[in-house]
Amino acid sequence: MDIFTIDELRKTFTNGEMKEEILKGISLTLKEGEITALVGPSGSGKSTLLTIAAGLQPASDGKILFNDNNITSMTAEQVRDIRAKKFGFVFQFAHLVPFLTVREQLSFMLDVSEVKMKNEKREQEIDYILERVGLSERKHAYPSSLSGGEKQRVAIARAVIHKPRVLFADEPTASLDSKKSKEIMSLIQDLTKTLNLTTLMVTHDEEMLSYVDHVVKMSDGLVV
Amino acid sequence: MNIAWKEIKKNKMRFFILGSIIFLVSLLTFIISGLANGLSQDNASLIKDLPSGHFYMNEDAEENYNLSRIDDRIREQLVQEQKDAVAFSIQMGFLNDESDKERSVAFVTSTDSKWFEQVGPGEIILDRSLEKEGMKVGDTLTHKQYKSSFVVKKFVDQKKFSHAPVAYINKEVYNEIYRAEEMQLLFTPGEDSTQNIKGLQSFSNKEFLNTIPSYSAEQMSLNMIVWFLIVISGMLFGIFFYMMNVQKIGLYGILKAIGVKTSDLFKMMWTQMLFITILSLTLSVGSSQLFNKVAPEDMPYHLTNETTLQLSIVFLVIGFIGVTLSGLQIKRVEPLQAIQQGEV
Ligand SMILES: Nc1ncnc2c1ncn2[C@@H]1O[C@H](COP(=O)(O)OP(=O)(O)O)[C@@H](O)[C@H]1O
Ligand SMILES: [Mg+2]
Repeated sequence: MDIFTIDELRKTFTNGEMKEEILKGISLTLKEGEITALVGPSGSGKSTLLTIAAGLQPASDGKILFNDNNITSMTAEQVRDIRAKKFGFVFQFAHLVPFLTVREQLSFMLDVSEVKMKNEKREQEIDYILERVGLSERKHAYPSSLSGGEKQRVAIARAVIHKPRVLFADEPTASLDSKKSKEIMSLIQDLTKTLNLTTLMVTHDEEMLSYVDHVVKMSDGLVV
Repeated sequence: MNIAWKEIKKNKMRFFILGSIIFLVSLLTFIISGLANGLSQDNASLIKDLPSGHFYMNEDAEENYNLSRIDDRIREQLVQEQKDAVAFSIQMGFLNDESDKERSVAFVTSTDSKWFEQVGPGEIILDRSLEKEGMKVGDTLTHKQYKSSFVVKKFVDQKKFSHAPVAYINKEVYNEIYRAEEMQLLFTPGEDSTQNIKGLQSFSNKEFLNTIPSYSAEQMSLNMIVWFLIVISGMLFGIFFYMMNVQKIGLYGILKAIGVKTSDLFKMMWTQMLFITILSLTLSVGSSQLFNKVAPEDMPYHLTNETTLQLSIVFLVIGFIGVTLSGLQIKRVEPLQAIQQGEV
């Protein structure tokens, strides 16, 4: 059984009278414990594909099967529940909660995903992830005092603290320099393997492809 | 973990400013409504202190108690039917004290009743405020239309009518001074329904108070200020949270993307609003009590616990509405919008 399958996915945007088909029937299977990277020219529909797969916007046609359940036919509340408990998200920017410390960002994510555990265990989990992303020292820092790379590592920690099954990352290194980008990519690779995540990411940086297991090239709404 | 509280902690200044404004507005509201209540006591405690029931005056009097004359037969009949019913009359007038100085008072006389002082001919019972102005028990007072004179029998607390101290006098004396054989008003205590008595118009306590000309004018303007302040506090909440929310639209989008329920975002705002309001109200209730103690003696200020509680609840409800309305924008936030907008 494949954990995540995209089947004949289509997306049409309507701008007034104008209809534009951005995704023209995309089929894709993601493998557990592996990173699939979407590449292709700007405007080819990578982000649209990723966000539909992640349940952040509806599809026009086709199926997205997560554990054999079709996300495209679920209610908004069901999709939210899956996003909270089974998915993790990293975007180009970290989008941290400005008034929470690093530790609190993670604790909050555990609340959101309704993970029930004893306080002691919760602290252990947080410490463990912070060590994995190399931020043990910054546990009580607020986002405003973190560097761009540090923020992105907190975002990654937040994306995996609740042990999701699928990790979505849309250009997670686009706002970082080359050295930091590599650190982030190796972190994503590392976590994907050890936490057995199914990772779907978008990148336009050729250099990052050495960290991924599969490369899916997109052009003009199709896999090529 | 309570992120509502975390936000307050991180943005102390912002919430402190909101809290201070709510504190000031609610304190002002408490003080003004204390003043409204105090003035209404000062204006009409004679009537306000009666139990709730029904007042009757002549239909022909057109809601002016001064012109009302209640037929003796009707009066006797009603007083017989309802044992606590009382007939009474009020006239504004003047008394001359021992140094022949004129004092404005409200003369009141009534049939036998536990709510009205009964006095013999030649006796008078006065409101306490006249004692403070120097009158004493045993003083002899005179009235232009009264051949004989009054001896002050005692003073009673808080009996005012139309801002004048009440002077209870005997019915015969009253009739002699004002050449009126009949009583002006009937009062029957009790919540039971009004009796339809031919030729008489009935009033609830509140309705009757409003027939006193100065009373309704005073109360209306003060109550209007109170309501304005309450509405302003609701708008403050609305505007404050609206501006905070506008700044946080991006954040809300991200939170929604990672799976936070919209209802939890509302709960967060409600928690913050409750926290700020309860804290501000506690302080302003405390301060208004303090004001009660330090207010000048002759300032008509009287804030009851009941009014305080009612106003506090109104503040909470209005704050809740303000916050909720301003939060409606959160409902419309799309997670994607925020992600594509970049750094927040
Ligand atoms: N909400 C939308 N409404 C209309 N057009 C959109 C919307 N979102 C994306 N598009 C269009 O879809 C195309 C693909 O966008 P996107 O998936 O962001 O491309 P990529 O991530 O590959 O650069 C672009 O032409 C973009 O303008
Ligand atoms: Mg994109």
